[in-house]
Amino acid sequence: MATNILKRVGQTVIILIGVALLIFIMLRIIPGNAIVTMMGEHANPEAIVRMTAELGLDQPFYVQFWKYITGVFSGDLGTSYSLNRSVSELIAASFPNTLRLAIAAALFAWTLGIVCGIIAAVRKNGLLDHLFMGVSLLGVSVPVFMVAMVLQYFLAHKLQLFPISSGSAGWIGYVLPAIALGWNSAGSIARLTRSTLLEVLQEDYIDTARAKGYKQLPVIMRHGLRNAVLPVITMMAVQLSSLLSGAVICETIFSINGIGRLAVQAIEGRDIPLLQGTILFSTALVILGNLVADCLYSLLDPRIRKEV
Amino acid sequence: MKKIFALILAAMMLFGLTACSQGSDVVENADPVVSEETASAPAAAGVEDGVLRVAALYDITTMDVAKTTDNYMVPMNIFDRLFEVEVQENGGTEIVPSLCTGYTPSEDGLTYTFTLREGVVFSNGSALTASDVQYTFERLLTAGGVNDDIPLEVAGAEALKNGEADTLAGFVVNSDTEFAITLAAPNAGFIAELTGPAVSVVDKETMEQVENFGISCEDTIGTGPYKITEWVVNDHYTLEYNENYWGEEPSVKKMVVSIIPDASTQNLMYQNGELDILDLEYLDSAIVESTYKTQYADRIISGSRVGLTYLAMNANHEFLSDVNVRKAIQMAIDVDSIIASVYAGDAIPESGIIPTGVWGHNDALERPAFDVEGAKALLAEAGYAEGDISFELAMDSSASSNTQLVYQIIQQYLKAIGVNAEIATYDESSWLDLRKSGEMDSFVANWTMDYNDPANIMYTFFGSEEKTKIRSLNYADEAIMARVAAASSITDDAARMAEYQALEEKIVVEDAAWVPLLGNMHLFALGERVDSFVPYWAGYSNFYAKDVVLK
Repeated sequence: MATNILKRVGQTVIILIGVALLIFIMLRIIPGNAIVTMMGEHANPEAIVRMTAELGLDQPFYVQFWKYITGVFSGDLGTSYSLNRSVSELIAASFPNTLRLAIAAALFAWTLGIVCGIIAAVRKNGLLDHLFMGVSLLGVSVPVFMVAMVLQYFLAHKLQLFPISSGSAGWIGYVLPAIALGWNSAGSIARLTRSTLLEVLQEDYIDTARAKGYKQLPVIMRHGLRNAVLPVITMMAVQLSSLLSGAVICETIFSINGIGRLAVQAIEGRDIPLLQGTILFSTALVILGNLVADCLYSLLDPRIRKEV
Repeated sequence: MKKIFALILAAMMLFGLTACSQGSDVVENADPVVSEETASAPAAAGVEDGVLRVAALYDITTMDVAKTTDNYMVPMNIFDRLFEVEVQENGGTEIVPSLCTGYTPSEDGLTYTFTLREGVVFSNGSALTASDVQYTFERLLTAGGVNDDIPLEVAGAEALKNGEADTLAGFVVNSDTEFAITLAAPNAGFIAELTGPAVSVVDKETMEQVENFGISCEDTIGTGPYKITEWVVNDHYTLEYNENYWGEEPSVKKMVVSIIPDASTQNLMYQNGELDILDLEYLDSAIVESTYKTQYADRIISGSRVGLTYLAMNANHEFLSDVNVRKAIQMAIDVDSIIASVYAGDAIPESGIIPTGVWGHNDALERPAFDVEGAKALLAEAGYAEGDISFELAMDSSASSNTQLVYQIIQQYLKAIGVNAEIATYDESSWLDLRKSGEMDSFVANWTMDYNDPANIMYTFFGSEEKTKIRSLNYADEAIMARVAAASSITDDAARMAEYQALEEKIVVEDAAWVPLLGNMHLFALGERVDSFVPYWAGYSNFYAKDVVLK
């Protein structure tokens, strides 16, 4: 297993270099000039040429890339053009906020989704099943920004139960953004949990367990859910990655200084080092998320462990 | 199964703990890391006396005016200029002494001798001397390159900028409190230029010791009424009263500017009493009209945005190069309707280049009347059939909702005379790059005055071939451009005004180089804690916190 993990880490490094190269090329193809944007309205052509040279952007592509990639592997992601700060520092300052939001959203989504999914499966075609599946359909179909704005308007503005802007409000500031961000994921998890659990509950070994005299709850939790949870965990891993990288709308509406906002700021300002840094970091997160999910599979399913 | 859940839970808790421990770090670059727990964040209730809470859509990127042309909120409050513009009770403006108590111009209008105010110290206790002003001028030429228009007028500026000299020859320090500036050419608007945020005076002694001026709060020192005490990137920054300030103590002792990137969120925060001043510029005009002008009508303060919204037309374009086409476009747009429908009447129509409220503005200048049939006839006379003319209206994707509406309305007006204007949306960077390349067909933009002198807009847009190119105007008349550049040197006020007005008539009426649209009012909503507020004379979103009086 250790060898396999090492192999995966090696693959990850290669993928990251490939992604870095791709970003590097793409950022130089798209229209827009980082220096013009940075220097703004008054900058004259001489100043732009001088600044381009100062930042080394007049050097050949391969020289720039080599400098960048060697910097990345020594932990230096460069200095943001627009914010005049180390990209690593900026990411280190904003990522915890995104992580906090993503974890809160995931906990909300997974708890709600799994519980509703189990109840809906157990009460198949009952009132609760229809109710939960109806609500989950709403969860899947209503966009994040709308949920965020509705929650913000009613719970924060009208009822004043939560702060409107989360930025400096502490943990309570994360409640509404987490619900808004996790709402969609909760719907998907509930629907998947229900369908997989229903399939498993048709299996013979469930009847055997019941025949042995087990009560409903142990049958569902020990025999049913354990076998139904693998696809759900796959979805969770994918969701966690997307929650981490897709929080930009919530971050904007609730004024959370997260990695998404940093990336948008970098795109708008053509801040190449900052954009490269945030994309590379998000890519590494997705790869890491998949690696963790693979490891979890092997822990959950002995067959997979054997294969690994 | 229990093991698995425990494992997942432990992993989550580990992530959570990491998040919580890292979450306390904020970026302050060279400054020591400041914890979020100690950060003074705006609170919805129990606000301390003397604290002003405002919001901005975007964070500042620097506090150094040598490196920015728009991040002026902090520089305006922590630095002083040699002179300032004061808004009078009648709404007019007046240049008043600030760090300088007076000046004497030479007879040839080339040399100005200034007297510095005595006893002024920077917030770190260092005394202000004439050498600091000299250093400020020299640094603008050598350190930034984005705000050097004003020091470039001083004799010897080019040599210093190009590295051919070590000092600015036209700047002579006579004593700690007296210095003389000799210009390369006379400029009647020079004193007005010195009121702009770009010429914020810095401390030479401090600058020679620090490495992160403009980024680090500790390193960014000025003589102004406030000092910057905290800057959490993309979250908030805090200004606090400078005990060493030479002027009257302001009512606002501390100002917290929160970065709230969504205007709707700002709107709700204001309504819940979490903001003391709300800038209504970025709110949809329908919300301003339906909510603010009804429920908060007595809390709205308006400041005229001294500037101009215009439609630029590229004279190098296949069709826009024809003066008849440009004139027809001028006639096709009903500015009064735009003002009524988009700005709910909170704007005034403009006719030329020099905006209302700026010295030299020509009230008598008349814009071509709105005349669809006349415009059609003009195009027909010029040999164009309906649909022959097409060009791109390039829009910056970050344009406000009002500006986007203006684009759509203009497109419809042009359609009515048979001109196809296709709106193309570019992200800000691409838009700016295309515009600076001189290749943009047409666009709507706004210019707000940096200082109260016509040169600030006339020279910036029509002062040279390069200046008209980087704004994709490509105005072709070199003789006129030479006259615009020379107009700054006319020392007789009446003659200078006459020259600017003649040039304006030639460029806008005769050559139809652009379509002047409007100058809008900048509205602010005041919270219950604010007694009075005077917006910056030019109507910026940025303002002087000392001009706010709290209850």
